This record gives sequence, structure tokens and C-alpha cells, in this order.
Amino acid sequence: MTRLERIALLAACAAALSAQDLPKAETILDRFVEVTGGKAAYQKHTHEKMTGTILVPEVGMTGNLIRYSAAPDKEYSSLQLGPLGKAESGFSGGIAWEKNAITGPRVKSGDEKAQAEREARFNAQVDWRKIFAKVETTGSDTVNGEDCYKVQVTPNLGKAETQFYSKKSGLLLKTATTAVSPMGEIPVEVEVSDYKNFDGVLVATRSKSKMGPQHLEITITDMSFDQPIAAEQFDLPAEIKALADKAAAK
Amino acid sequence: MRRVSRVAPAKSNRYIRIVKPRKSRALAFFALVLCALPAFAQLTAEQKQLNLASFEAVWSAIHDKHWEEKPAGLDWQVIHEEYRPQVEAATSTDAARAVMRDMLGRLHQTHFAIFPAAVYQVLDPSGAGDGWPAFEAHVLNGRVIVTESLNPETVKLGWEVLQTNGADLPPLVAKLQTDPAIHELQLERAVAARLSGPIDAVRPMTFADAANARITRDVKLIPPRGNFAGFGNLPPQPVFFQSKMLGNTGYIRFNMFLDLVRVMTEFGDAVQKCAHCDGIVIDLRGNPGGIGGMAMGMAGWLVSQQGQRLGTMYMRGATLNFAINPRTEAYGGPVAVLVDGSSASTSEIFAGGLKDLGRARIFGTRTAAAALPSVITRLPNGDGFQYAVANYISEGGQALEGNGVIPDVEVKLTREALLAGHDSVVDAALDWIRKQKESK
Repeated sequence: MTRLERIALLAACAAALSAQDLPKAETILDRFVEVTGGKAAYQKHTHEKMTGTILVPEVGMTGNLIRYSAAPDKEYSSLQLGPLGKAESGFSGGIAWEKNAITGPRVKSGDEKAQAEREARFNAQVDWRKIFAKVETTGSDTVNGEDCYKVQVTPNLGKAETQFYSKKSGLLLKTATTAVSPMGEIPVEVEVSDYKNFDGVLVATRSKSKMGPQHLEITITDMSFDQPIAAEQFDLPAEIKALADKAAAK
Repeated sequence: MRRVSRVAPAKSNRYIRIVKPRKSRALAFFALVLCALPAFAQLTAEQKQLNLASFEAVWSAIHDKHWEEKPAGLDWQVIHEEYRPQVEAATSTDAARAVMRDMLGRLHQTHFAIFPAAVYQVLDPSGAGDGWPAFEAHVLNGRVIVTESLNPETVKLGWEVLQTNGADLPPLVAKLQTDPAIHELQLERAVAARLSGPIDAVRPMTFADAANARITRDVKLIPPRGNFAGFGNLPPQPVFFQSKMLGNTGYIRFNMFLDLVRVMTEFGDAVQKCAHCDGIVIDLRGNPGGIGGMAMGMAGWLVSQQGQRLGTMYMRGATLNFAINPRTEAYGGPVAVLVDGSSASTSEIFAGGLKDLGRARIFGTRTAAAALPSVITRLPNGDGFQYAVANYISEGGQALEGNGVIPDVEVKLTREALLAGHDSVVDAALDWIRKQKESK
């Protein structure tokens, strides 16, 4: 064995040992559920309402966000962003949709629909085994100076994403994924922070997203569980229903 | 402290903005000193420092914001080492500017420019306000000609504007037209600025009538048309939307792609009302752009086939398709889009994309070729600096930047036609729509 081959072998062994040091992804994901309240705390709730503010720093725009979600997979979001007006999106009855002043009503399909469906799933953190086909710890990194484990999660449908969990606290600090839209596939990095307790569940109340050259900051100002939500809250808007019916008829 | 001037075209969050330092006394005084200095005067230590700071600002903007990490394939750090010593050695602001222009020239790309501080005094006169004279005027063959008049009894179509508030316009136009750095868009805005002022002010204006006789009128400046609408850091701009019928053809005109909710709604309503029209004319002449996404949204009212796009924008770290979401009620008849040299940015994205898709026929003159989200800032030494932050390729594969949209039918607005009460570009579009109907 040459000197070079010995060095290569040592390096390979070191890498193997290092990989063995990493906890299993399953352990990391389960730990996150535990440190944010535990499975029982999550499963106590069946629906939620979240309100927040949004900031697009590059263009100095601010707005408000409201989101309703309910088990097992209903979701409705409304974003009022200054001069861009109201942008709505939702997932209900297996249909993912959006509506805004620019594009008008639209029904999502393919990876974009899969992404919306995944995001609509209530208590997705607890049910990750049903959502992800594969999870794997891929290494270590830091997020704002904090040591993290990198976990790659591959959903049953849609794009894989990388999640960064604090080694110390077990909390999720960042995700890196690819957002799918008609405008293309855009790399998105989201850093989350300021976890606060809402009825037994720790929720990150601040997020800073970087989508290509643009930044977005969201602050959750209030979150409530299991308060009454109007029965029609998750109904498809008439234009969306018409589009969905038309697509189904084809 | 900085403020953004009322010049403002461009896209999504994409604006061609003129960002300039608020005129502090010190800076204003310094600008005057600069203008007064002969070219051969020695730079003071302070001026030298301002030029160096300007160089660093220019270099950093390209380094940080150009859509290619190696701008035009260049090692931008090496460029810094090559050019900074030259700026340090420059003995005048003109010389320092020449070095910076040379550096930008290495990119071989348009919309990277440095304007001498003195240019701003010609382009952007003080004392301008929101009031306008109830007529629009454009530069046709080097002359400022009235192209639209809300008070035709006072000021008629086709008249030439010779003088406003004591200032002669022909020499101003001649001066600006000889400077290759001044685009037609800037020229038009410089003229518009001369015709504007405080609301309710009365300005003496001298015209040449149809017989070229000099006529002087006291013109009262009125509030701008439409509503004021801002967008993020952009100060409110007056935005108007107009739709009417020309026979059985719909005519739509709006001055900027802003006031998103109102303009998008009115555009959609206008198209829907025109479901049985012979055609639709969309007049983007003089429209400098605005929110890029609005081009996609409006195209959705005119395109019924799924999976189409107007073009693709390439930025640092992201590529965006300008995808069209066809509306259920999309219009399927002939569409004519009117453009001129002041149609820029989002106007070009809209017109160029629809042309490439074969969905619209374009009439008028070549557009401004300013389709990129370029930003104009003021440098520490008072000069202006324009730089693009993305590349945009229209669906046909052509970059609109530097090329513009070339009309399918080139038609120039003429003074003679205006004096006869005609808009030759609108006439050409209507004629085409009429022929489309007849050929069915």
C-alpha cells in the first residue's frame, strides 16, 4: 500500500466514523416533536388560526397574514400585502389553489400541488412518517453560529428538502428547499426563531426567507387552537370550483 | 438621506429608479462648485476621496448585484486591482469618471452608465410639481409637439411647444439629443418636467400653430390624471387608466404598470366588456413600465393556451419564468399593441412577449430597450450611476435589453397627422384590425 493509498484509507475510515457519530434522522425528528411539546400536546388540537405580519425589506412593503388549518389536511391562507392586494391560497377536498390580483384564480397541479398538500397537513411534525418516504442525517452545519444536524427529508411526492436541527435544543432552525411554481423552481432558505409556547406547543414565531434574490420576513403575532372556525372557511371559492369542475370534466 | 425621484419605470419589485441624495446644502453647494471648476483644476483631497468612494460604489454594485457571479466572464476582483490605482491617480473628476466608464465598458453590456452631475441639472429642473398643463407633448423630429389635449380650444393637437415659463424648448431638446447617454425616455421626461409645475400655477407658454404662427397662452396647471399609487419604497406616482370604444374596437391605455389592484381590475373589466369586439388596441406609448408581474397578469386575459410565457428573467440565484395563467374569459380576437421609444421595461416585456407568442401585432416605433430591472443611484461625487441587476430574455430568445421591441409595423406619429386630427399609429392598428375582420 502506497503512502497515498494509506492516507485515502484513513480519510475514508474517518468519514465512516464521523457518519456513525451522527444520530439517526428518525431520532432527530422525534426529538423535535418532544422538545416542542410532545406528541400528546400536538394531538390534543384539531384546528388552528394563526395571524401575523409580513415584510419584504427590499421594496419596503409590509402586510398581514392570516391562516386557518384543520385536521386532517384543510388549509386557507390570506395575505394582504400593501399595493399587491389580497392573495389567497388553500387546500381542501384534494384541490390546491391560489387567487390573487395579478394571475387571477388558479388550480395547482404536480409538484406544486404536492407541496401545498404537504403544507396543509395538520400536525405534520407528528405524522412525518406518513409524509416522508425517506429521511437521512447527512452531516453537521451551523445556523447563525449554532451547531446543527442536517437532515434530508424526501416526501412521498414533491421535492426533497434539508432541515437543520439544533444539536443543543433539538429545535428546527432552518430549512432549505425548492419552491415550485409556474415561474419556475426557486431555491428557498427559511430560518426560523423565537419559539413561543401556544397552548402546550412551541411554535417558531419568526421566519426569514430567502428566495433567490428576494427576502421575506414573517412574524406570528397570535396563534389559537381549537377556537370555532366558520364552516365555510375552507370552501373552495366559486372561481376555483369552476376551474376544478372544468378540469375534472376533461 | 435619500429620496427617489418621480422617474420610475420597471418591474415586479423591478424599478428603474433614480435614487439621489436629498439636496443638503453642503451637497448642493459642492455640486455648484464642481460645475464651476474648469476641467484642468486640481482636485482637492475631499473631491479625490469622493471619487474613490464613487469608484468603490460602482465596483461593489457590479460585484454584489450583477446577475452573473463573474460579470461578463470577468474576474471582478482583478478589475478592482486594475482600476482603483487609476482613479487614485486621476487629476480631475472628468478623468476619474472616464476610468469608471472604461471599467464599465469591459462588461460590454448596456444599462451600465455614469452620468455627469451636470446632466441632472438639465434633466431634472427644480421647481417641478404634480401639476400638468392638460396636454401631452412628445418630441417628434426634434420638435416638442402636442399629441393629446384635454382643452383643444386652448391648445390644439399638433401645435409645437416653443417656450414654457420663459425657457426655450428647442435648444434644450437639441442639447439632449446630441448626448448619446440620454435615452429617448429621459428626453421625454425632461420635456415633461419642463411642462409641469405646482398645481394651479399659471404658466405662459408659447406655441407654433398649424401655420407656424407664434401663439402665447397662459396655461393653468391642473392635478394629474388618475390616482396616486406607490409601491414599496417608490413614492406615489399618478396612475391613470383609460378604456373606450373606437367603433367596434376596444382601446385601452394606462400610463404605468402600477396601482396594481385597480389597474388589473380595470384591465380585466375592459377586456371582458370587449368579448365581441373586432379587436383590442393596447396603447403603451410613453408607458415606462412598473410592476413586472402585471405583464403576466394582463397577458392572461389575452392568451387562452396553457403553458405559455412572456419570457425568462435571470437574476443572481434565481431564474423566473414570466408565466401566463390564462383566464377562463380570455379574449381571442386580434390584439394590437402600440409602442414608442418611451415604452420601457414592463411595457417591453408585455409587447415583446405577446409578439413572440404571435398573439399581438406591434405598431409604432422601437421601444426603449430598457427591459432590465436597472437601478439609477447618485454616487458620492454627485454623478449618476445606472446598473442592471438581471437579464431578461423574451420568449423568442432575444434579450430585450439593448434591443427593445421592434414593431411589426413601424409607424411614426407625425405633426401633420396630428394637425389633421389623426393619430397615425392608432389609425394603422385600426386598419389592421379592420382587415382581420374582412379576411374572415
